[in-house]
Amino acid sequence: MRLLRLRLANYRGIDESEVQFGRHGLTIVEGPNETGKTSLSESIGLLFDYLDSSKHRSIDAVRPAHHDAGPEIELEAESGPYCFTYFKRFYKKPETTLTIKSPNPENHTGREAHERAQKILSETIDIDLWRALCIQQGEAIQQANLSRQTSLSAALDIAAGGHQADPREESLFDKVKEEYGRYFTERGSEKKELQEAQKAQAESEAKVVSLEKQIQNLEKDIIRAADLGLELERLKKQEQDLRVDLFDYMKSLDEIKSLETVLETARLKLESAQKSEQAAKRDKAVRQDLIEAVLKAQKAHAELEESSKSSTASVKKSETDMEKAQSDSFATEAQRKAAESLLNLRRADFDYFNNKLHLEQLKERKERIDRAREEAALSEEVLVKNSVDEAILKTIQKAERSLITARAMLETGAPNVLLRGLTDLDFQIDGEHTTIAKDEERNLSVSDRIRVTIPGSLQMDLTAGSSSSDLLKKVEEVKQKLDVLCNDAGVSNTDEARQSFEARREAQQSIARRKEVEQENLRDLTYEELERKVLGLGKGVPAYPTARVPKPDLPPNLASAKEALRSAEAGLERDNEAWEVARTELDSARKVRDGLRERYQKIRVELDLKADELKRAKDELSRSRGNASDDYLESEHLKCTKAVHKEEENVKSAEANLCGKEPDRVRILAETAQGSLQTAEKKREAAQQENTEVRTRLKVFGEEGLHEKLHAAQSHLNYIRQANKAMIRRASAAKLLYVTMKDERDKARRAYVAPLKEKIERLGRLVFNDSFEVEVTENLSVASRTMDGCNVPFDSLSGGTKEQISMISRLACAMTVSKDGGASLILDDALGYTDPERLKLMGAVLAKAGQECQIIILTCVPDRYSNIGEATVVRLG
Amino acid sequence: MSFCFLHTGDWQLGMTRHFFSEGVQERFAQSRFDAIRELGRIAKEEDCRFMVVCGDVFESNLVDRKTVSRAIEALKDVPVPVYLLPGNHDSLNAASVYRATTFLERKPPHVHVIEDTNPIRVDEGIEIIGIPWPSKRPLQDLVALTTGQLEAAVDTTRVCVAHGMVDSLSPNLDDPALISLSSAEAAIAQNKIHYLALGDRHSLTKVGGSGCVWYAGTPEQTDYNEVKPGFALVVTINGGGVTTKEVNIGRWKFIERDQIDLNTKEDIDALRAWVENLGDKERTVVKLGFVGGLSLSLHSELEELIYHVQEILGAVETRMDNLVVIPEDADFTDLGFSGFASNTVERLRSNVEDSGSDADTSRDALALVVRLAGREL
Repeated sequence: MRLLRLRLANYRGIDESEVQFGRHGLTIVEGPNETGKTSLSESIGLLFDYLDSSKHRSIDAVRPAHHDAGPEIELEAESGPYCFTYFKRFYKKPETTLTIKSPNPENHTGREAHERAQKILSETIDIDLWRALCIQQGEAIQQANLSRQTSLSAALDIAAGGHQADPREESLFDKVKEEYGRYFTERGSEKKELQEAQKAQAESEAKVVSLEKQIQNLEKDIIRAADLGLELERLKKQEQDLRVDLFDYMKSLDEIKSLETVLETARLKLESAQKSEQAAKRDKAVRQDLIEAVLKAQKAHAELEESSKSSTASVKKSETDMEKAQSDSFATEAQRKAAESLLNLRRADFDYFNNKLHLEQLKERKERIDRAREEAALSEEVLVKNSVDEAILKTIQKAERSLITARAMLETGAPNVLLRGLTDLDFQIDGEHTTIAKDEERNLSVSDRIRVTIPGSLQMDLTAGSSSSDLLKKVEEVKQKLDVLCNDAGVSNTDEARQSFEARREAQQSIARRKEVEQENLRDLTYEELERKVLGLGKGVPAYPTARVPKPDLPPNLASAKEALRSAEAGLERDNEAWEVARTELDSARKVRDGLRERYQKIRVELDLKADELKRAKDELSRSRGNASDDYLESEHLKCTKAVHKEEENVKSAEANLCGKEPDRVRILAETAQGSLQTAEKKREAAQQENTEVRTRLKVFGEEGLHEKLHAAQSHLNYIRQANKAMIRRASAAKLLYVTMKDERDKARRAYVAPLKEKIERLGRLVFNDSFEVEVTENLSVASRTMDGCNVPFDSLSGGTKEQISMISRLACAMTVSKDGGASLILDDALGYTDPERLKLMGAVLAKAGQECQIIILTCVPDRYSNIGEATVVRLG
Repeated sequence: MSFCFLHTGDWQLGMTRHFFSEGVQERFAQSRFDAIRELGRIAKEEDCRFMVVCGDVFESNLVDRKTVSRAIEALKDVPVPVYLLPGNHDSLNAASVYRATTFLERKPPHVHVIEDTNPIRVDEGIEIIGIPWPSKRPLQDLVALTTGQLEAAVDTTRVCVAHGMVDSLSPNLDDPALISLSSAEAAIAQNKIHYLALGDRHSLTKVGGSGCVWYAGTPEQTDYNEVKPGFALVVTINGGGVTTKEVNIGRWKFIERDQIDLNTKEDIDALRAWVENLGDKERTVVKLGFVGGLSLSLHSELEELIYHVQEILGAVETRMDNLVVIPEDADFTDLGFSGFASNTVERLRSNVEDSGSDADTSRDALALVVRLAGREL
């Protein structure tokens, strides 16, 4: 539809306003606010939507506020093949006229005009798409909702190279989806109905199985009942047979029992006879024992008497032997004691000499220590007085060497006087007397001044020059220093110092030596112990010779004392041995005597006992014979033996009788029969019990009508199976149809989205850059923009960019549908978010779109659209 | 001496059929109880001395108490003595229905259960030799065994009442329980018995050439493969001669049609006409097996027809394994799709033509799309 002219009168605040639109391209309707720009786009909708008689609030809203007149809308437009003028006045003098100029002139008024206009519109344009594409004030950023726009879809289908889509296909798809939804959730899971149907089938199957099982159990019971009937018969018969057998066995057992009693009696009699025979035999043996005992006692008594006699003689001899041994023992013991006394004396003598020697040695050691201690004490004193140690000596010696050096230098530097004796002569040098022999020469060095005096004859003063005087002075200084050192050391000169040093060293050595001497002489003793020993020995040793017995004599020396000691020791050893031998012999003799005495006593006792025993045996025998003679006992024994033989015969006969009845076999057979009978009874009871149970079950369950129940359950299952099969089949068909159709629909959508995408991108590249791409969804909305490789979802874009892409998208749609069913695109107050630079570029986009479709721009800011190229401009207000 | 009696059997009381809905099942069951009363009426009408029921009186020993009670109620209305023989379905085992409390407590005095082979004196000079089944699977020919032990009858007419298949009619000759026809005929020839009343076979059948051995069949049909069901026999024994009279009792029909060609609309119309032509529809059970190929729209028509038939007949079983649904262009041209719906249809049709694993589902999906689009159009 193309808008050619629109006139409004009495519309909101507009008295009258008419706008002529450019047939092609862009028309800019500019004007300040409240000049009716928005009313233009609004009025077209009202014109087509409402009857002139409508009291709808939308109509009410456009009534003029200040005067009572009906709002008028008049539109001249082209749509498809139609070119028409459509007029409506609402409320006041309502009127509708439609004048069609081409293709065929038509005139309509009133409701007819309204309906005809609607028909033309529905025939030629997609009114929904038109409304979707137009931008109303304040919605420029939003994308148009194009998901259900049939003309756009048709145009895109054609553009995609397909057939034009039938609008009913979407509706069909909805129905297919609805059918699918009966069985499946959106995620493809089975719905409750399907699940419950399957559950019901499972339950029904379980019920059938359960009933079949019950019937099978009953069938088993039926067979079992028949088997049990036979089993019971068999067991009854078996029981009867066993009872007969058992009766026979019991009868035999009674007979066996009476024979056993007979045997038992015979055995008792035999036992009694045997006991009598045993008694007679025992009496006989007792008598014989008595006789033998008397004989034995007599013999033993005689033997003991003989032994007694020989024992008395032996005792006497042993006593004599013992007395002799005792006297020998006394003699040797006296000898031993004498030897022992002598040995003690000789040992004391030896000790005396030994101690004497020891005392001397100890004294010597003590003296050595004492001496060393005295020397050390003296040395300590020397060390206190003498301070010349090695260092001091060395200092003095150094000073001495300095003096000698100074003197030598003085001598070499001083004038020399050679004295030669012409005769032996006494003279003085510096007042000191000296002599010189004939032809003796003596040099005198004059370091300073020398006076040589020949007493009574001559005095000669020799004086050195000035250089000698310096050397002399030096000598004096050095000498003075030496003197000071000597003085400090407590010595007069160097030699004395040296002696002092020697004396000091000796003193130190003496102190050191004292320790050695002490160690050497004390050994393991302390000095006090040593002293005590010396004192002890000093008292004891001299007293010994006087205290000792006079005889034998004290040996002259230690060696002889030692010899005497050894001799005494040997003597004692000999006497000891002799004493030991004598004592052993005595003990032996005593033992022999004691042994013989004891034996003699024993024999005496035994003899007495045996005499008593013999007497008793004789008494016993005589008493026994008084009761029963030996012959009587013999005849009694013979009688009893015969009785035993007789009873043995009786027992044998009874045993043979019993054995003939096979008692063990009969007893085992009877027990077995008894056991078998019990087993058979138990089996029968168990079978009876089971039979009762089986028959009870059959009675209880057999009348429950399981047959019909099973058939009913099977029928129900059959019905459910068929119903489920049908339902599953329907569900499968719905699923396949839905999946296939959705796939095809998606494919088609993807195909027809392509031309729109291409158009949007072509326009968009004018604004953005050549890398501009968009992702268009199946609902024909832009999902995201990609530029320079960067993809940004639409919702995340800036307001300006959203606005631009939304407008580009609308323009692309309008261009797509412009050939057939297209409608003029009205943009009310768009591009408010777009910056001036982009406005310029959007101008180029609008200009490009304007070449293919009619675009009407309503704006109160005309500068926004100063770069849209050629356009029809209409000014309002 | 001349007398007549009613020979029947295989009442199969308590029988159920899986293809019956609950209501139809009830009607089917009731018809069998009604048949007992009808037999009683005929027995009286024909002046029968007694009625013998040759086994399988009950479908199972485990039938419901209600079934037993209703059977006894029906038997009470029979005006002649009734002799019930336990057969293979209601054998005289430990769970026998004839020993159930309900049966024993309510059984009227003129109803007798044949529990052994001892001759039963029914009337002066008339004996029944019953041969009940002690278990489901006897291991020998019970008739031969029993008649072998009989002496020739003197001044007595003997009706032997037995159950089981005779060897001349059985495809399974290994069955040890088969009744030897020659042996039975020999017993008749030897004057041991004079008529052998048999049960087990549900079709009225004369066995052998003696005219004295008969299956009475079931009084109400139970399955499709029964040749002459729905009858009873009025047997008259006059001296040595036996005459029989067939009496129709049954009201239910089981019809099986296989290999019904369905390719065109005419075929479907013919089927519809055939159904319309059936009499006593509510007691008619049909089993239909189809062959051929139908378009989606014709298949829909067939389904509608079957749905309708199910409403009016006793029961309908169908087998469509050999009926192929072939989507045709005509099925879709009317829909007028050109976009994705059209592509969807093409893909599904391709699946059908490829006969892959999802061919059947694709066919159903196509039918669904036609239905949904039809709803839309």
